[in-house]
Amino acid sequence: MSSITSSGKNRAHERRRLVKDRVFAWVMSVGGVIVIVAIALIFLFLFYSVAPLFQAAKVGAVTQFDVDYKEAPLYVSLDEYKEVGLQISGGGSYQFFSTDSGRIIESSSLNFLSGTKMSSFAVGALTSNVIITGSDDGRADVFKANYTISYPNDKRLVSPSLTRPLEGQELVLDEKGVAIRLITGQSTEDGVTVLGVSEDGSVNLVSAVKESSFLDDTGEWVIERSTLSLEGNQISHLAMNVDQREAYLLSRDGTLELYDITNKTSPRLIDRVKVVEGSVRPTALKYLSGGLSVIVGDSQGNLSHWFPVRGPGDIASLRKIRSFIPMNSGVADIAAEYDRKAFGAIDRKGNFSLYHATAERRVFSGTLGTQALSEGIQFSPRADAITFRAENGSIGMVEVHNEHPEVSFSALWQEVWYESRDKPLYVWQSSASNNDFEPKFSLTPLAYGTLKATFYSMLFAIPLAVLGAIYTAYFMSAGMRKIVKPSIEIMAALPTVILGFLAGLWLAPLIERYLPGFTMALLIMPMMVLLAAFTWAWLPSRWKIIDMDGWEGLFLIPILFIGAYLSFILGEFIQIYFFDGSLTHWMATAWGITYDQRNSLVVGIAIGFAVIPTIFSISEDAVFGVPHSLTQGSLALGATRWQTALKVILLTASPGIFSAIMIGMGRAVGETMIVLMATGNTPIMDLNIFEGFRALSANIAVEMPEAEVESTHYRILFLAALVLFLVTFMVNTVAEVVRQRLRQKYSSL
Amino acid sequence: MVTNNQAKPTSALDSIKIDVDRASPTIKPQTCLHVDGLDLFYGGSQALNNIKMSVAEKKVTAFIGPSGCGKSTLLRCFNRMNDLISSVRITGKVHLKEQDIYAKDVNVALLRQRVGMVFQKPNPFPKSIYDNVAYGLRIQGIKGRKILDEAVERALRSAALWEEVKDRLTESALGLSGGQQQRLVIARAIAIEPEVLLLDEPASALDPISTLKIEELIYELKNDYTIVIVTHNMQQAARVSDYTAFMYLGDLIEFGDTTTIFTRPAEKKTEDYITGRYG
Repeated sequence: MSSITSSGKNRAHERRRLVKDRVFAWVMSVGGVIVIVAIALIFLFLFYSVAPLFQAAKVGAVTQFDVDYKEAPLYVSLDEYKEVGLQISGGGSYQFFSTDSGRIIESSSLNFLSGTKMSSFAVGALTSNVIITGSDDGRADVFKANYTISYPNDKRLVSPSLTRPLEGQELVLDEKGVAIRLITGQSTEDGVTVLGVSEDGSVNLVSAVKESSFLDDTGEWVIERSTLSLEGNQISHLAMNVDQREAYLLSRDGTLELYDITNKTSPRLIDRVKVVEGSVRPTALKYLSGGLSVIVGDSQGNLSHWFPVRGPGDIASLRKIRSFIPMNSGVADIAAEYDRKAFGAIDRKGNFSLYHATAERRVFSGTLGTQALSEGIQFSPRADAITFRAENGSIGMVEVHNEHPEVSFSALWQEVWYESRDKPLYVWQSSASNNDFEPKFSLTPLAYGTLKATFYSMLFAIPLAVLGAIYTAYFMSAGMRKIVKPSIEIMAALPTVILGFLAGLWLAPLIERYLPGFTMALLIMPMMVLLAAFTWAWLPSRWKIIDMDGWEGLFLIPILFIGAYLSFILGEFIQIYFFDGSLTHWMATAWGITYDQRNSLVVGIAIGFAVIPTIFSISEDAVFGVPHSLTQGSLALGATRWQTALKVILLTASPGIFSAIMIGMGRAVGETMIVLMATGNTPIMDLNIFEGFRALSANIAVEMPEAEVESTHYRILFLAALVLFLVTFMVNTVAEVVRQRLRQKYSSL
Repeated sequence: MVTNNQAKPTSALDSIKIDVDRASPTIKPQTCLHVDGLDLFYGGSQALNNIKMSVAEKKVTAFIGPSGCGKSTLLRCFNRMNDLISSVRITGKVHLKEQDIYAKDVNVALLRQRVGMVFQKPNPFPKSIYDNVAYGLRIQGIKGRKILDEAVERALRSAALWEEVKDRLTESALGLSGGQQQRLVIARAIAIEPEVLLLDEPASALDPISTLKIEELIYELKNDYTIVIVTHNMQQAARVSDYTAFMYLGDLIEFGDTTTIFTRPAEKKTEDYITGRYG
């Protein structure tokens, strides 16, 4: 009699069986968990890389500079490494000091001409380290801070100095000798330009350019001057861009005037607008980095972004592009970063905010430590610190961590009005050859490209794969199915790099050359199939010596070849006689449809080819898996094979076909090599099938190697990867959920 | 595929070697299906040998016999379901009323509308109860809502299912129990009002109560339809059928009225099978 408790020689066997059972259960669970953890980790890593993009800026410790200055400071700035500071006081003395110890490295006076006093003061473009002063006898002077790094005794030494780019050349701004009330200017290798408003209201422009001699280093200073024909008593702010071609004049009543000062002897007014309404007064004006646009602050705390926009007839007009979250009280001062379109602003109550202009984003708002600020905030060259003057007259510096101000939802996904563009656009342009270029990170054209690739490839793949699957599973004879199904499935093993290579280098030129033929083939080949079918149906039965049932596909192959050949012959004929020999050229001239050789059609065919095996195989299994009893039930009710196929087979197989399409789509969305190789990778947004695009995946592949690690660009590429991951994850999840639900629904079949 | 090597069919009633229904000796049943010299081959092997028989109209004819004897194969000859198997070759004649159903100009779809079939396992479509019953009518192009409603109700009532499902006609047929599904499938078959109903072991996958219901249903349905039933269950054959055919290894061994077959079989093999010596 057998027992249900193990005993004797059976015991060892039972034990072994139990251990095996447990081990396998463990291995399976651990494997499953590892897969889930791996996916979760990928997601987490992407998220971890992307998260800093959306973090607010942080303001760190405040450093008070313990400098023994004699007069109240007017201005303070830092060198690139925040090692040396420069402080200029209202009386005209200046000190270079060490930011660590407060030790004064050099202390001197701006050395005005005897008897004159500094009556106005301005800072040139940050990158040039230039200071412009106006004196009470109508003259201007220009100073430039230089920081020379040397390594005496292998030790790093920063030697600051203040030089005069004008080399002693006198620059008279007001020829009547009236004190300069307001001044601005720029100094570069090309020359010096200064714009000033005198106490009597005259507005003068003067430039000095050194024409060097051919024979030696000496040269002649050429002075050009003009007086602007306007009354300048109301002018409160001046600004000039770094290339000395444009100047803004802002009046107390809110009138902003933009002058073209390319020709120094005859400045030309470009446009004049009111930037504030009613009793509101403008209180700050600052050029953003690059010198293409200005930020205006007003007495109510509003901040707005302005630049000239070219309209019809190439006439530029000043436009308010965007405004920002207002400050609590009137804007006291604005500081622009050196090379990003970010700026900081303080208000009358000492609150400080950090903004990014293009991203329309406020990244920080609060106070800078305990210091009550007045005016005179200034970014350090690397935008990692802000120097300030406190109300009690002391100067200091506060650390700023503002890594990615240029990223916001609107900058990534919405149309953005970039400087010197005439309308808001979706632009992806992550790098350029020059330095003062603003990277444009709109993911919309890339997502559009991905969707475009998916759309055209699915347009190509779904009909072929699904109809092919239905035919193979339901109509095809078993013998032929045995050959056809594995053959199509083996197509999935083709590396996509080969498909991309073939598509880009073989198919693309071929389609360009024979475009009418390809178009004709879409019509003629199905027509040939129908023609063959009808011919066969009408053929007298005694001629039908072969039984074609289930083997039709084989007999259609030569017919399709004939159809393709006919299409190309006809296409060539049409091309020569109707389209002047080249349809692509004709389209461009007659319809304005541009034709890229590597276009969406080519990509659609290539990706379609790549996803057909997936869609075909899963759909075929779904159709083939429809229980035979249902087919028989339908046929036994007097349904024809077609009625059965459409009303029973397709219905029952629909969950499988749906999930096949979704899985195929998931693959198409993430496809990289083909879109990389077979499109021009131009990030344009255009539904035209004959133009290329740039997909998210290809963009990551192209740009990741050249993106600086942990830069905004690098993180945005990770964001693109995260978006791609989420899209494919969602598509596949939807496919799986639908499949599971419908499988449950049909489980009793 | 189908070749006729037999001579023209003999008169419909010639080869009936059975007695008429003893219960009503005055009414001679009409022949509905007539089989003459039917041979069927699966590839090289012969599955049916020279079958000759007649199926009486509006009676229940049962096919019994051990597994593999060819009773289902013979049943499938009546609505040409064997056509679906490409290796099948058939010779001989099968007449439905006066028409040769294997003639070249026969439209198989129309034939199957006249000869309905119900399979061993319930096979409702993954559609609603209503759509299942209306399926046969819809594929004939009948669209009128009223016609469909009436036909569906009539069919469900005939299949004794109406009272159970009338409140959930739009629900999926897959939610019904096995017995209900089988009655639904019968309703689906009779919705198109066929002349003949072929039942291929209709109760073999069901529990005893459902089986009983199906048997009652068959008893009801024979007033309107000619029924041919294949069954493994001899009691079932005895209970529901008027005539019984015993088949063995592709041969029709004995065919007669059910009472005779079960009480005084003429053949030794029949007796052995009925008494449970093999099967």
